[in-house]
Amino acid sequence: MGRHNLSTVISFEVVRTLTKRRFWIATLIVPVILGIVIGLVSLSSSATSSAAESQKSAKFTFSYTDASGIVNPAIVSKIGGTKATNATTAVAEVKSGKLDAFFAYPKNPATQSTKVYGVDTGIFNNGKYSSVATQILVASAQTKIGDPTLATLVQGNLPMDSTTYKDGAVSGGINGVIPPLLFLAIFYVVILLLGNQMLTSTLEEKENRVTEMILTTLNPTTLVMGKVISLFIVGVVQMLVFAFPVIVGYLFFRASLNLPNFDLSHLTFAPGPMIVGALLLIGGFTLFTGTLVAVGAIMPTAKEAGQIFGIMMALIFIPFYVVTLVVSDPTAPIVQLFTYFPYSAPVTAMLRNGFGSLSVTESIGVIVELFVLGAIVLQVAVRLFRYGSISYTSKVSLRTAFARPR
Amino acid sequence: MQTATAEPLVYIDHFRMDFGRSTVIRDLSFDIRRGETFGFLGSNGSGKTTTIRALLGIYQPTAGVLHIDGKPFQPEDGNRLGYLPEERGLYKKEAVLDTMTYFGRLKGLTKHAAAAWSLDYLERVGLADKAKSRLDKLSGGQQQKVQLGVTIMNQPELLILDEATKGFDPVNRRLLMDIIEEQKKAGATVMMVTHQMQEAERLCDRVILLKDGAAEAYGTIPEVQDQFGGTMIRMTYSGTIPKSPHYDITSQETSYAELTLTDHTDEAVILRDLVDAGVLVRSFTTSKISLEDIFIRVYGDENAAAGDN
Repeated sequence: MGRHNLSTVISFEVVRTLTKRRFWIATLIVPVILGIVIGLVSLSSSATSSAAESQKSAKFTFSYTDASGIVNPAIVSKIGGTKATNATTAVAEVKSGKLDAFFAYPKNPATQSTKVYGVDTGIFNNGKYSSVATQILVASAQTKIGDPTLATLVQGNLPMDSTTYKDGAVSGGINGVIPPLLFLAIFYVVILLLGNQMLTSTLEEKENRVTEMILTTLNPTTLVMGKVISLFIVGVVQMLVFAFPVIVGYLFFRASLNLPNFDLSHLTFAPGPMIVGALLLIGGFTLFTGTLVAVGAIMPTAKEAGQIFGIMMALIFIPFYVVTLVVSDPTAPIVQLFTYFPYSAPVTAMLRNGFGSLSVTESIGVIVELFVLGAIVLQVAVRLFRYGSISYTSKVSLRTAFARPR
Repeated sequence: MQTATAEPLVYIDHFRMDFGRSTVIRDLSFDIRRGETFGFLGSNGSGKTTTIRALLGIYQPTAGVLHIDGKPFQPEDGNRLGYLPEERGLYKKEAVLDTMTYFGRLKGLTKHAAAAWSLDYLERVGLADKAKSRLDKLSGGQQQKVQLGVTIMNQPELLILDEATKGFDPVNRRLLMDIIEEQKKAGATVMMVTHQMQEAERLCDRVILLKDGAAEAYGTIPEVQDQFGGTMIRMTYSGTIPKSPHYDITSQETSYAELTLTDHTDEAVILRDLVDAGVLVRSFTTSKISLEDIFIRVYGDENAAAGDN
């Protein structure tokens, strides 16, 4: 009967949430906005790159002077430029409109500015003068080097494949940091998206005066657990909806969005950090959910419960104020405090787990702490719901709730 | 009235309930037999709802035994219980049929059976066209009908109705009474809280009157009437009615009075005493004291005191 009721509660809660128009409006607004942004960025990027390309190959009349001796006259003449005999005259011709542009290359273009003069063609088109001046210099330098490979090497865009070792074994580096930190991202998304729903989940029974009907029909533990599980399911649905435009954007519009081409095959999924990350996520979720449900059970209205929500949210962001210390000096007292203080522990421990500074002992300590406290807080939440939700109009006193014999 | 068996379905013994320093129930003992309709009567704040909540495990008693069918109530037993609480409420933003089906499933019915039963019930109470409406789009009376449906949809063995008729118009009150009667015929034991004394007198096999957290009267209607003298005299008169240890003057106007006998003195003796005292008696009728009269007698002082406040 208990299991049947749990599944009944879960299906009722999930179905009624997913069939609400309000839920889909709230959920879809983020991907819709993301889609619009992706579309606009894509359009802008293609417009910008085509403008940049057209500026590089822009045709206009220009002359130049070259104090460096690097500029190759053949390259200049190929694109219609001429060498100026006098800089002052050339600038005057630009001023009068006889000449579109004039470039004065200094003795050392690497440290000194190249002077570019041009006829104003609008703020977005004026960039073509600098683009062409730069291209002339780059092409001239490459010609001087005389070897395409050397020319590429000079530019510094070189593929590197590094291997580092930790305790005698190959360490993942940044590729090993990213996967465990995904649990931190999931934790934030779940708490931020669902925190308010967690807080108000049992308030509904209270505000609708349905508590007595519920408490005489099913065990309050079943109800609270059912609500927690259904919230998690709803959260997964929301995450998938949010992730959809990101995945589509990455797969099909990566070039136009200028997204880096991640080689996911290089990511290192080390079992230890992944298991620790997953356990920290579940423990942290349990602790925060239990706390928010407990708060909801003692508050008479959603408005009053909402005041507590702000404090809870602040607690999960506080570790980021010392993120540098968390990464660089995990033994610092403040980092140790945040690692073990229950409401900052999930974020701090997941960060340290990702960066490899959470020892096995510390991992076990924090995970046990989160699970034990999570279980206790859930029990407290059930008890507060049982005795708090019957106080329809007033905030229940903790002393009253816990004084009752059981 | 239904014939009740002697074996109690509800058993409450020396129940005490404190909230902090405040004692709501001092010492309460009674039982409800299987198949009977039991009236749980008392003024506002006398502890009726507290007793029901403690019986159903919502409150933990400070002391005493509260059993249903020989053991403390557990929610898992809920499929044999139908409880209509005083605080009415269902999921207001959900559709009527969805809510009824949900509760039906929690009470052990299959989804199909719960939905089918709900549709039949809604048809019967004139709400068939509201099956897909949200509850908060229904009137208060309509919502109560839905909640009553949720209460009885599992064919409960014990039906606890806390002021079931509150907010119903006479037509719907009759409908409700018919439904309760059907539940009784189907074998349900009914515990009803009501402030309608005529209703209690008509429906209940036995009653208990609760005052200040203790039983003021308890038993069948005739037994309770006997506990309060049993007989009431209504008379028109002129003169001054003397005080007497044999009766209380429960109502008195210029030429009309109601006397409630406090012992079993013969009515003829009372009449003779009045005449001997110089009262000119124009009419003199006797009847069994009604529950309403008993209620007024028991709680009149308290209400007067409340009124004074």
